[in-house]
Amino acid sequence: MTKSAWAWVWFGLLLALDIAIPWFVLTHVEKMSAAFLFWTIWAAAAIASAFIIFLKWREVKP
Amino acid sequence: MSVTFWIGFGIAVYIAVGLGIALMARRQLGAGVSEFFLANRKLGGFVSALTYSATTYSAFMMIGLAGLTYLTGVGALGFELTYLCGMFMMVFFLPRFWLVGKKYGYISPMELLSDRYQNKGVGATAAILALVFLVPYGAVQLMGVGYLMNGISGGEIPVVVGIIIAVVCAIAWSRIAGLRSVAWTDAFQALLMITVSAVVLGVVINALGGFGAFFGKLESAVPGLLTVPTAKGSWNLNMFIGLALPWLFFLISNPQVSQRLFIPKSVTAMKQMLGGFLIFGFIYTLISVLWGFGATLLVPGLENADLATPRLLSLTMIPTGLAIVVMIGITAAAISTIDSILLTLSSVWARDIHKGLINPKVSEKGELRVGQWVIPIMAIIAFVFAWWAAGKTGLDFMIAPLASAASAGLLMAVPTIFGAFFWKRGTAFGAIVSMIVGAIIVLVFQLTGCKPLGWWPGVWGFVVCVPLFVIVSLATKPPREKAEEFIGYLKGALKKGRFI
Repeated sequence: MTKSAWAWVWFGLLLALDIAIPWFVLTHVEKMSAAFLFWTIWAAAAIASAFIIFLKWREVKP
Repeated sequence: MSVTFWIGFGIAVYIAVGLGIALMARRQLGAGVSEFFLANRKLGGFVSALTYSATTYSAFMMIGLAGLTYLTGVGALGFELTYLCGMFMMVFFLPRFWLVGKKYGYISPMELLSDRYQNKGVGATAAILALVFLVPYGAVQLMGVGYLMNGISGGEIPVVVGIIIAVVCAIAWSRIAGLRSVAWTDAFQALLMITVSAVVLGVVINALGGFGAFFGKLESAVPGLLTVPTAKGSWNLNMFIGLALPWLFFLISNPQVSQRLFIPKSVTAMKQMLGGFLIFGFIYTLISVLWGFGATLLVPGLENADLATPRLLSLTMIPTGLAIVVMIGITAAAISTIDSILLTLSSVWARDIHKGLINPKVSEKGELRVGQWVIPIMAIIAFVFAWWAAGKTGLDFMIAPLASAASAGLLMAVPTIFGAFFWKRGTAFGAIVSMIVGAIIVLVFQLTGCKPLGWWPGVWGFVVCVPLFVIVSLATKPPREKAEEFIGYLKGALKKGRFI
């Protein structure tokens, strides 16, 4: 698979986790360490992965 | 002196500083449409990041999202962070928009679509979609300012006065020097809004005994708000998807932000814009949600959850001076969004409707004049909508759902945008039909409150418009030559810059 295809798969996985964990796994856990913590870490992971990709970009003249 | 006096004084200082920045920006204003609407595609990374942040984050955050958290709990965090996760798609779209913007000289995202599909009707349809659906989105910014000034002044300042102040500032910031004045005032406003909101959240959490005690109190006082679906039934999966789906594609569906992808002056500036925005967004989202949770503990039982922030700011634990500075910060957030919307809509009208359909031979000067006249006209329409909606109650008229509903309409352009960059077989007819049918479904379901199977209007529109775009495209003739040239150019340029 190309790097681009891997990035789309990773994005799809992030979205699947967005629904699966808080809505089905943590659904009855009424604590800050449940859905709140999950979504915070999950978003941080999404942001970190974007950084990993775009920091490799280099200057081009269109 | 009364609180109302100090609010007036604070607003006067804010307007004076904003005006000063806008006038400074005007000194650098050159001639031409590209200069007025895109600052000649020469903005640095720092200003680009801040203008992107200020345009994206609005009164929606500290009022709408805080209100939604207050009423419905942690699902509001998931909904907003789903948007931020959607920003991951910037690694695909940012370089693509930027590269073709520079190569072909596009002014608006709609012009890109018209050229790529070789049909001005595509851009015009997307432009009409933007003109229709961005009005309620602009209006919620105005409502936010109105609610805020009304709440903090204890009702002395009528909601409509706050709305008028926001309208006048937005018109001024966008008319004075186009994107230059918008971007510079945005930068000032972005720094103001995140700094003051962080400070005031610190005051509230400190008053509640620090983070540990704050979280402990939430778990004991409102445990039902810490899970989805919520115990009292506010959040269910259909509502989550209904609100989050339009937000997920916000970065390409909302022209006031996708137009920003044309403006960085270099790849380095582009990286700074994206990185800066992601960090800004993550911090500001957490601040807004924690602020909403703070309100559930300190001002429980409000009938209108959008008033949670104004009520919290009017508590004696928050010094009046700080409350007024926060109010100005939120006002700045609202105005920085609506001025960008006005500027984008004016460029869309001038380029994609006036020049694209009505008068193709119009001079650049004439096009610019038309765009500048559209700014106050759109502002007045948003004002009327805000005035009307501000008197209504219920979930549908809360700031967050109203904002998301606006994006639900814009979502119908997403298959067309994906097709432009990734599918050579996409056609103008497929694009136009999918946008029109999708938008009609969204509008009808939105206005009638109809939710078959519990699915929200944006979800229904999307479910219909995606296959429609594919099927109609397969049944009609694509602009092969342009598609090969456009996507072929990107393929080579993306490789050179190590983009994916």
